[in-house]
Amino acid sequence: MEVIRDVFLFIFNNSNRILEYTVNHLSLVLTVLAFSLVLWISVGLIISKYDRFATSVIGLANILFVIPSISLFGLFVTIPQLGLGRKSAALALILYAMMPLVRNVYRGLKSVDKSVIDAGRGMGMSTTQILYQIQIPMAWPVVFAGIRVAVVMITGMATVATFIGERNIGRLIHHGITRGNAEMIIAGALVVSLIALFLDYLMGLLEKRVTSPGLRHSSENY
Amino acid sequence: MIQLEQVKKIFPQTTVPAVDEITFSINKGNICVFVGPSGCGKTTILRMINRLVEPTSGNIYIDGENILHVNSDELRRRIGYVIQQVGLLPHRTIEQNVGLVPRLLKWPEARIKARVMELLEVVGLDPSETAWKYPYQLSGGQMQRVGVARALAADPPIMLMDEPFGAVDPIVRGRLQDEFLRLQQEVKKTICFVTHDINEALKMGDYIVVMNKGKLVQKGTPMELLSEPANDFVKDLIGDDRGVKLLDLTRAESLMMVPESYPVARDCPCFIDAIQPVKMALEVMMKNDSDVVGVRRGDKVIGTLSWTEIKKHIHRISGD
Amino acid sequence: MNFEFERFVIAMFDRAPPYILEHMQLVLIPLAIATAIAFPVGVLLTRARYRRYSGRVMGIFNTGQTIPPLAVIAVFFPFLGLGYRPAVIALTLYALLPIARNTLAGLAGVPLEVKDAARGMGMTEWQTFRQIEIPLSLPVVMSGIKTSAVLTAGTAALAALVGGKGMGAVIFAGINFFRMELILAGTIYIGLIALFLDRVLSFIEARMTPSYMK
Ligand SMILES: Nc1ncnc2c1ncn2[C@@H]1O[C@H](COP(=O)(O)OP(=O)(O)O)[C@@H](O)[C@H]1O
Ligand SMILES: [Mg+2]
Repeated sequence: MEVIRDVFLFIFNNSNRILEYTVNHLSLVLTVLAFSLVLWISVGLIISKYDRFATSVIGLANILFVIPSISLFGLFVTIPQLGLGRKSAALALILYAMMPLVRNVYRGLKSVDKSVIDAGRGMGMSTTQILYQIQIPMAWPVVFAGIRVAVVMITGMATVATFIGERNIGRLIHHGITRGNAEMIIAGALVVSLIALFLDYLMGLLEKRVTSPGLRHSSENY
Repeated sequence: MIQLEQVKKIFPQTTVPAVDEITFSINKGNICVFVGPSGCGKTTILRMINRLVEPTSGNIYIDGENILHVNSDELRRRIGYVIQQVGLLPHRTIEQNVGLVPRLLKWPEARIKARVMELLEVVGLDPSETAWKYPYQLSGGQMQRVGVARALAADPPIMLMDEPFGAVDPIVRGRLQDEFLRLQQEVKKTICFVTHDINEALKMGDYIVVMNKGKLVQKGTPMELLSEPANDFVKDLIGDDRGVKLLDLTRAESLMMVPESYPVARDCPCFIDAIQPVKMALEVMMKNDSDVVGVRRGDKVIGTLSWTEIKKHIHRISGD
Repeated sequence: MNFEFERFVIAMFDRAPPYILEHMQLVLIPLAIATAIAFPVGVLLTRARYRRYSGRVMGIFNTGQTIPPLAVIAVFFPFLGLGYRPAVIALTLYALLPIARNTLAGLAGVPLEVKDAARGMGMTEWQTFRQIEIPLSLPVVMSGIKTSAVLTAGTAALAALVGGKGMGAVIFAGINFFRMELILAGTIYIGLIALFLDRVLSFIEARMTPSYMK
């Protein structure tokens, strides 16, 4: 019980700092997300069109994904052009986001029922109309599932960026460990978990809003 | 009118033609049925007519115009296409599915709405019940109806229908066929209809093209096919009950005797309509335990049909 | 770029190798415990009696996965102190989801007709499970364990923070001293460990698969 009290006291006494860290955390996540969506959805669209690149691009994404986050952050920091701070952090996180986004865009587009595309063509829809009116809307639930995974993952990995100078919630955990400060660690873990859960919840709500009811009944979107 | 001249299709990486030098034409307002075993090239023929597949050689004309000279998207918007797998857009409501081609053609929204409601009614669906639903909420038969409504939406003069009633049970299929034939009486489209079911072909077709392994085996009216099958393949396809099938196609008026004196006919214990099939005449005769039935057109009795005549007819066509 | 080949060679052959076994332990122990928990849970959740709980249980696993790995690793440290134990517990929790999810998906994916046919031929429920469900779902289940192994190999780098040692120690040393060679060496070994475990698991899978299914 005492621990819980101490944690709340810590949060209360350090609310300004925690707020600053939270804002930093979210701004990193949003920056990364914005770049990742534009970049990786385009790449996903491209490899769906030019299938022969698909295997190697998705393979690359998979390799990037299994590199420990701390390694990629660390490697980028040692590159002088990037250095300590946000550029390295953002670049590493964008690379991690490649896997869920590119893979799901590709899978989503490829899973679109051929007969529906055929019907569209047969009724005289142009290639662009088929892409925007059939393929993208039908792939959307799978794509969105990928975005949701990416958001949660970026939020979690961003904490690790504290070791390369990001002033975000990870810092509470990092400093808590080096100082042996239990309240600080638990407060950090608690706040960052709440942020991740909240974002996941938000994405869940959004998912319902942006998915056609006609597709919602089949929610095997992984 | 649709004409195919020596049309041939060899798919890439294959050697055997999927469709081999086929020539025929379909008159305006007719239903032409392509029938044959699965894989014989029926779907490929349809898809060449709306340019989803380009022929390897040969020409296709619609109303005298070579379809290669028409923009393929525009061509397709003028041709209704009911695909084998229905292919409704799962993320769109039924209203949006049926209104798809009119929207591509940029009809005013009010006109689209009205047209969709009208069409749902035409294919036997309750518009207020169905329009707002999504495809997964419909039964197989209802989806096929929506598929037909969607193809009819922009009132195309030509319809390509690829096994449109394939995915439903025989009872529903029979009902859809009847309704469709009734609809065709009103709309008089030029229709290419694909099926592997010879009975459906005989029922729906003004004209039938029998195919096997990409080749045209026989073309003709259902009557011609039944009475003079070109070879054993066609005979097998039709089955052993050729005579009986023929009775289903033969109108009572074509076998009836015109009696010298009308009173004889009027004395018949039972009657059928002149355009009803002979098979129906048999049914009526059996029910009334009579070997003769009167044939009526409207209120007027115009002849008699007897068991002897029917038997003679069956012997004639079965060739024994 | 401050990359010196000589340092890299030293990192690869002197500095990093002592941590290989430690790191393997950090992966294998959590993986074994996670499999021992998640597989039976997956099996239970596909039985008729418990199937209705599967949504809720998977929801809990999914939520667990949402919590950042650093938070999970850190949060046990105040209670269990420095060392192996907090790291192993945290990594175990993290390894659960992919295994449970794939066990569930694999077993649920066995066609009902096949199970019915087996029961219809007089196989008991256990025989059906052993001879039909397990072999048919094995590839999916194993791919879940492999996913877990690969993810755990990476996440285990964070264990060094709470005194769990492992290859993370080399990587963190590299970060603290801005030595790319150390980070690179640590990462390469983690990659090799992941690859090795993946191969071993594939081998085990091949041994477990009846020959007629290969
Ligand atoms: N896109 C294609 N590529 C290669 N072969 C095809 C293609 N489409 C159809 N075929 C082949 O052409 C033949 C005729 O097919 P299809 O017209 O679909 O037959 P049906 O509709 O009569 O069942 C079949 O042997 C089929 O395998
Ligand atoms: Mg076909």
